[in-house]
Amino acid sequence: MTEHRLLPALSRRLFCQLALVSTLAGPALAATSGDPVYIGVSGPLTGPQAQYGAMWKQGFDLALKEINADGGINGRPLDYIFEDTQNDPRQTIAVAQKFIADPKISVEVGDFSSTSSMAASPLYQRGKLVQFGFTNSHPDFTKTGDYMWSNSVPQSQEQPLVARHVVEDMGMKKIGVMYLNTDWGKTSKDIFAKAARDLGAEITTEEGYLGDEKDFRATLVRVRDTHPDGLMLVSYYADAALIVRQAREMGIELPIFAAGANSPEFIKLAGPAGNGVHTAINFAETSTRPEVEHFVAAFKETYGQGPSHFAAMAYDTFNLLAAVMREYGTSREDVKEGLGKITDAKSVIFPKVSFDPETRRISDPSVTELVVQDGGYTVYQPASQ
Amino acid sequence: MEFISNLVSMPWLDYSISGLVIGSIYALMAIGLALIFGVANLINFAHGAVFTVGSYIGWTCLVALHLPLGVSIVLVALGTGIVGALIEWLAIRPLNRQSRIAPLLSTIGVGLILDQVIHIVFSPTPRALSANIPNWRIQVGNGTIGPIDITIALTAILSAGLLYLFLYKTKLGMAVRATAQDDDAAKQMGVNINRVNMTVFGIAGALGGIAGLLVGLYFNSIDPNASFQMMLKGMVAIVIGGMANVPGAIGGGLILGLIESYGIGLFGASYRNLFAFAVLLIMLLFRPNGLFARKGERHAEPMTGTFVSQSKPVRIPKQLILALVVVALLLPMANQPYITQIMTNAYLYGLAALALTLVSGTVGLVSIGHAALLALGAYASALATTKGLPVGLGLIFGGLFAGIVGTVLAYPAFRLRGHYVAIGTLALGEIVALVILNWTPVTNGALGVFAIPPLELFGVPLYGTNQSYWFVLGLLLVFCGLQVRLLNSHLGRTWRAIREDTVAAETYGISSNYYKGLAFGFAGFTAGIAGAVTAHQWSFINYDSFNLQFSVLILTMVLLGGMGNVSGAVLGAIVIAALPEFFRAVAEYRMLFYGAALIILIRFRPQGLLGSG
Repeated sequence: MTEHRLLPALSRRLFCQLALVSTLAGPALAATSGDPVYIGVSGPLTGPQAQYGAMWKQGFDLALKEINADGGINGRPLDYIFEDTQNDPRQTIAVAQKFIADPKISVEVGDFSSTSSMAASPLYQRGKLVQFGFTNSHPDFTKTGDYMWSNSVPQSQEQPLVARHVVEDMGMKKIGVMYLNTDWGKTSKDIFAKAARDLGAEITTEEGYLGDEKDFRATLVRVRDTHPDGLMLVSYYADAALIVRQAREMGIELPIFAAGANSPEFIKLAGPAGNGVHTAINFAETSTRPEVEHFVAAFKETYGQGPSHFAAMAYDTFNLLAAVMREYGTSREDVKEGLGKITDAKSVIFPKVSFDPETRRISDPSVTELVVQDGGYTVYQPASQ
Repeated sequence: MEFISNLVSMPWLDYSISGLVIGSIYALMAIGLALIFGVANLINFAHGAVFTVGSYIGWTCLVALHLPLGVSIVLVALGTGIVGALIEWLAIRPLNRQSRIAPLLSTIGVGLILDQVIHIVFSPTPRALSANIPNWRIQVGNGTIGPIDITIALTAILSAGLLYLFLYKTKLGMAVRATAQDDDAAKQMGVNINRVNMTVFGIAGALGGIAGLLVGLYFNSIDPNASFQMMLKGMVAIVIGGMANVPGAIGGGLILGLIESYGIGLFGASYRNLFAFAVLLIMLLFRPNGLFARKGERHAEPMTGTFVSQSKPVRIPKQLILALVVVALLLPMANQPYITQIMTNAYLYGLAALALTLVSGTVGLVSIGHAALLALGAYASALATTKGLPVGLGLIFGGLFAGIVGTVLAYPAFRLRGHYVAIGTLALGEIVALVILNWTPVTNGALGVFAIPPLELFGVPLYGTNQSYWFVLGLLLVFCGLQVRLLNSHLGRTWRAIREDTVAAETYGISSNYYKGLAFGFAGFTAGIAGAVTAHQWSFINYDSFNLQFSVLILTMVLLGGMGNVSGAVLGAIVIAALPEFFRAVAEYRMLFYGAALIILIRFRPQGLLGSG
């Protein structure tokens, strides 16, 4: 039953994984029997995006352990097969063929980026296997067909919340925007800019930059000279940290909101320059909701560190799919129909999960606003500001 | 008019400072590259990886072991110096008497291995790298500069000074210069050129490592994916400064930094690399010896004939080819869609490799920008068919577009030879990708092109797994047949004559540019169709779908099969497309095997599996 996960375990993580698998197997065998129900995962285990695949596995393994301890899928154990694609579209389409042809697979999850995921979408659509993308924020991801579903936070719903915080709480009236020039960055930036303008703010400039950029001094001079009263960064954590540091070094002391600053890595990379930067997060470790408290505690116990956003998404995704399969069945059609019907599924990220059957995306995400403070985060409190 | 007023009112001082800061980082990279080019006449593509190794040794010393900065710098220099010397000993020296392309590719292999080792040991996540550096900052213009900025600039100047003293005041330095001028003559005068080469690679490695450490401290961030960008910038800097000119490399780095900074000031950060590569192309075309060259100075390049390994191609019996074609045709009957898909991918790679082996193998223009041709074809067909053109015509349009535009773009590069072609085509490839990214009204920019219609030929659907397999196989066979016919005609002989000796061919009345243009046009058509088919297969493409890594991969396939060899290109494509599948079980080590395979191949069978044609 675990041979599929033992294959990639021929790695430096061999011992960790063996330990993990054996702890999984104990309660799983006690509570479940019969053929496992399989989820096919297509994602990066090697290549430049390998760190995200590693975070996914943490979330998947923890979810699996709990699901199987709790009777699996109506008595059958749940398991997954992770195929490495290096986030390369040529490999995701091959893996798609493998999953579609394998009758064991009930539902597919992944891939990481929009380029690699969407290349495989026509195959999944024609093969009638649900492709569940949980990191796919590209606005067109679910538009290929009715087998593409996503619980990635739709920027159309998140960015207006961010804009409200930036304009009303932080008081920016003339905003200088810098954004990562990718599908995610550009889409988010456009929605943010529109929402901010609707709230009466002015966007002084919109500067795109490439993902491998390290030096932002010249761009910051350009932004500074449009005389904004605050900066909005639509960025990942590494570039957000670089921009914040270089801005402060150049003597730009404006208030900053940075999308990627919600990762603990940001704090390490930005150092003292990160203090006072605002950010927002969908998954708030500090939340007092019982689901979140349980997840954070279990994650820390298993891995000795707090969960990343990607691990939380991965954990959420498996729990959601398990809930769908428990309630509506494990055939491929059951999963597709079930995703459209499920309401109020538990989640550590969203208050409650249900899908809009038209867009096949989630509705009503919430955000928690955070402020970086002395190497940690505090939840933004309007009164105390 | 707004542009002019921007130009006048621009805060030039602030942009100059930001340009000089990043420029001195490029300069640090460029010094090592220039040194190696001077002695070994080689662009060391592993230099970026040495830079990354240096930053991680630095992290280990400073953060993990809490050593003081001075000690760390010495350890980094030692560590990367040894890495540099080992590269020379293991990957360059054994290739001494081989074609000039061999060591270049060998360094690409070494770079892959070093990067992957860092990935495995340190994980791909960026890390913070800080040290106890005094915290004062000087106000310059509206910004400030701190101790690290100054240290970087000083290190660049200091190391150039030390190098000058070493080269002109020591005996070993004299030997280095003698080797750079003429290694055979130096050998006859009793110079141990192996020792000289190793020393130079060691020094260059140490400089690269120190650069890695300082740049990591400057950004407070190191990451294992930085190698390639740094390497590219260093390369542009040495082209500006003169390939083997060490002080020129510093000037080149600073000039590049300034150009990028002013360019960002005028147009924005998305255009940064566009300027770098445009400058590179202009330099190659008009001042190939660099800005600081004396008039009339000629470098050892251009060269002819020696860039590609020559050998007798292996003749494959007709019956065997026929049998293989039959097996290929029957493959989908095995009902293994996964394998069918892998082979469809392999044949698409094969089409791309076929095009590249024509220009690089047969005509001798080694291209590292091949992906651009596929991108042109893919975008042309995708954009035309999403606006209503039937897919069958879209494919042809894509091929024609890539053939014509590709030839026009590459035309200025026809006068270049050897390494310069490789660098020039690399720049062209990057420029095409960046134009696609930035020309949003036409290409849809970062969002890419979505909902590209699936493969069909005038109403006959071809998007099923097996149908598209047969379609792509058919395309591959047709283009293979065409190319073989061309190579056996007078055209093929003319192309080979140009490769062997362009000057001699020209004296026989062959207009080499015309024939190079024909080759590029035909190759562009083939590659454009491959790109277009890919676009329809995926239904979604963006500027990164055909990137530099893809270009390098195709070049590796061509080398593996044997330059200029039609069946070799197909074999190379199939082996490389299938190779990762065999290494799936050891996923994390895949790229390691890949790099090692590349080096071993170049070492023991430089003419490729089937020999060059």
